[in-house]
Amino acid sequence: MSLTSYVLRRLFYVIPVILGVCFLIFMIFNVVSPDPTISMLGKHATKAQVLELREALGLNEPLYVQYFDIVKSAFTFDFGRSWSTKQEIFEMIKQGAIPSMTITFPAFFLSFLISVSISLFVAFYRGTFLDKATVFVCVALMSISSLVYILVGQWFFAFKLGLFEISGYEEGFPEVVPYVLLPIIIIIILGVGPDVRFYRTVMLDEIYQDYVRTARSKGLSERKIMFKHVLKNAMVSIITYVVLRIPFLILGSLLIESFFGIPGLGGITLKAVNSSDFPVIKAMAVLSAIATIVFNVITDVLYVVVDPRVKLN
Amino acid sequence: MAANEQESKSLWHHAWDSLISDRTTVIAMSIVLIYSVVALLSTTGLIVSDWSKEVGPSYAPPSSEFLFGLDIFGRSVFAKTIKATEIAMSVGLVTGVLTVLIGVTLGSLAGYYGGKVDEVLVWFYTTVSSVPGIMLLISIAFIVGKGILAVYLSLGLTSWTGLFRLIRGEFIRHKDREYVQAATAIGGGDFRKIFKHILPNVFHIVIINFSLQFQFAIKSEVILSYLGLGVQGVPSWGTMINDAKLELARGNWWQLAAATAAMMVVVLAFNILGDSLRDALDPKLKGK
Amino acid sequence: MAEKILDVKDLVVEFRTDRGTITAVNGVNFEVYKGQTLGIVGESGSGKSVTALSIMRLIPNPPGRVAAGEILYRGQNVLDIPLDEMRSIRGNKIAMIFQEPMTSLNPVFTVGNQIEEVLELHQKELSKQQRAEKAIEMLKLVGIPSPEKRVEEYPHQLSGGMRQRVMIAMSLACEPDILIADEPTTALDVTIQAQILELMKKLQTEMGMGIIMITHDLGVVAETCDDVAVMYCGQIVEQSDVKTLFGNPKHPYTKGLIESIPSFDSTTGGAKGRLPTIEGMVPSLFELPAGCNFQNRCAFATEKCKGPHGEPKLESVSPGQMVRCFHPLS
Repeated sequence: MSLTSYVLRRLFYVIPVILGVCFLIFMIFNVVSPDPTISMLGKHATKAQVLELREALGLNEPLYVQYFDIVKSAFTFDFGRSWSTKQEIFEMIKQGAIPSMTITFPAFFLSFLISVSISLFVAFYRGTFLDKATVFVCVALMSISSLVYILVGQWFFAFKLGLFEISGYEEGFPEVVPYVLLPIIIIIILGVGPDVRFYRTVMLDEIYQDYVRTARSKGLSERKIMFKHVLKNAMVSIITYVVLRIPFLILGSLLIESFFGIPGLGGITLKAVNSSDFPVIKAMAVLSAIATIVFNVITDVLYVVVDPRVKLN
Repeated sequence: MAANEQESKSLWHHAWDSLISDRTTVIAMSIVLIYSVVALLSTTGLIVSDWSKEVGPSYAPPSSEFLFGLDIFGRSVFAKTIKATEIAMSVGLVTGVLTVLIGVTLGSLAGYYGGKVDEVLVWFYTTVSSVPGIMLLISIAFIVGKGILAVYLSLGLTSWTGLFRLIRGEFIRHKDREYVQAATAIGGGDFRKIFKHILPNVFHIVIINFSLQFQFAIKSEVILSYLGLGVQGVPSWGTMINDAKLELARGNWWQLAAATAAMMVVVLAFNILGDSLRDALDPKLKGK
Repeated sequence: MAEKILDVKDLVVEFRTDRGTITAVNGVNFEVYKGQTLGIVGESGSGKSVTALSIMRLIPNPPGRVAAGEILYRGQNVLDIPLDEMRSIRGNKIAMIFQEPMTSLNPVFTVGNQIEEVLELHQKELSKQQRAEKAIEMLKLVGIPSPEKRVEEYPHQLSGGMRQRVMIAMSLACEPDILIADEPTTALDVTIQAQILELMKKLQTEMGMGIIMITHDLGVVAETCDDVAVMYCGQIVEQSDVKTLFGNPKHPYTKGLIESIPSFDSTTGGAKGRLPTIEGMVPSLFELPAGCNFQNRCAFATEKCKGPHGEPKLESVSPGQMVRCFHPLS
């Protein structure tokens, strides 16, 4: 089977999953959710007011029409307008994506570099005190709530020491830096624990393989074995792990954005949750699911490209 | 079959030996035990039943009188931290059990029956895991409304996917093994084969997963609290950390510190326990 | 007499475990000559692979370490030289092939790439172009059809036998003095086994290297070796040339091994329909008995074997034949 037909087949399988995701979102927001008009109009609204609003929001349409609307939006990206701001949702998302990615992308690349370097280092010194201490620190870092990093970081480094802006956002390159630096650092710290632990395990799995013994018997140095033979094999697992993170980069971080007042997608989502702005929540859920599905396909395809052992069948 | 039972017994026995021979693991187990006892005592009202009593001035800092200081209403932060153990442990336990029930049931059905059943369940799994966890979490909490039930359900109903994948894989591996075929030969029904024969052989995965789910749930409770979807009326580490948003700027750090430390210790213990269980029960599972 | 290239003297290798220290190799002596093959035979756990790995200094340390002895390669003790000097010997002067051709090659590099890597390390004078040509030449040498195409392939695209040929090509690329083959055919089909052994013999004739053949299979020994050392519980129990060993084994263990080869000797069984086996189990290295290690499985064991006189020494019984037994067979 050729790579193209594999990709096509993989994409074809995506359709039932997208329909499923739409159904899940439909069930949650259009069927079992409490009537949003009540929270929008308040307790003292008259029946007529409620009915009128339901009509305006399209909630009186038959259920299958409402479901079809969600499915349609998944393919056209036409999510309608926000209930609270009346803005075109797709426009909101386009605007929000840039601040989100300004934070997530640098954080993503830096944390990848840092984590891979640390794990190479500890895998090289496996079994020593240094290795064990690093693993312990990783687990300890993971055991602290992400909220605490944000709170303490903001309070201590931005508020007390004044090293960064406490919150807010400005467009343009040098202006944006003081606003995004601390969020980026926090995302990196949040990621280092689990990432180093995972990469280290992957590398140690490789170090005990027979081909490493062969490489030693050829006269290769430990360093060369580590950086050439082990790293290339480990990369197969590492890449799949990393690529699946990308959808979350686009989505931004809910907590970080709301704390630091970054007008990104995470912040938009949170605002929508607090104001029962269903179309926005639904749009974000659909979009993030599609991003996840697409990157799953990309991961599978990459896997085939990177690992010569994987056969297409 | 007898031999098989023998084997699995000695496996557990061996695992137990290796667990208690490691000092760090023993410490982790003791911590979990202590937290459980504290949670039980607080649930039954034997300790800190008066946590909501005003014992001094608002925001009194830590002192010999008020060990961890007081909160805005002059309540003891120490008592609140202890009381919050109850919520944390119950969230861990309930979502852990929910995760196991859903993950194991669906995973074993998919893996055992294969074919159409598998296709449908895998589709369902892919669908649920395609929606980012936090979105699902918010959605479910949204429907159920604020409170402890929302925390239980939203975490329990979203976290089963990892276990599903592992259990399904193990069932596919095991269902054609000799011992299962032998069970078929002596007329064992599907139900019997799934629960009596295969499940005990893959149960170590459930235990490891449970331990890791437990700490994940405790951590997630904080996020749900921040989103305003957490527990109401009783103290939880999540609400305590959340309160610190306003307190820190005024230099009141003790509520945050107490909740963070209490949480970190037990989450760290569960993390270490999960790793040790994995090493002892199934070294192959490392990194998956 | 051929030139002596390797001289192993009183080699002792220990492993530290949770249950205490074990001596995996205990006072082993042997020599390897140019153009000749030494077989080291034994069951798993007899210390034969550990012996092989210690020649390459590939014993994982910890838990293992060479506790005593010398390994003289052309008069130089390889246990004493610095590690980077050792690396210039590995794959260059002393090369090794392993039991599992399936996993011994790196799955994500092409076959050609892996052969070229050895050349890049040890024959720095070769250009990239020359290395690529040499890789193809080596594949041709080990009998791989259309080598120009195969160099571009990955290990998983080759069969087990082909992979072992690649391993051989890789190990012989620098024309080593010594090739250590650790169970090279165990994982292969019987017909492929014969082909690989045939290939190794042919290449030995052409290139003149000494071979150490590590195996549990006396059939392989009979087919390929000049000299044999039989190992049991970390010690050599019998050592001689291959003809003497098969014709006139002195140690009950050797005799047992020979008799348990199917259809090797039609007088010992065949007709009676039952293949003799050696009764009992190899003792654990943690609890070796006093006296002879083989006593619990030996039909000829006496009180003397149980320890009052210590353990038996490896002693010469006839010119070129040594045996570690209180009651050598006649």
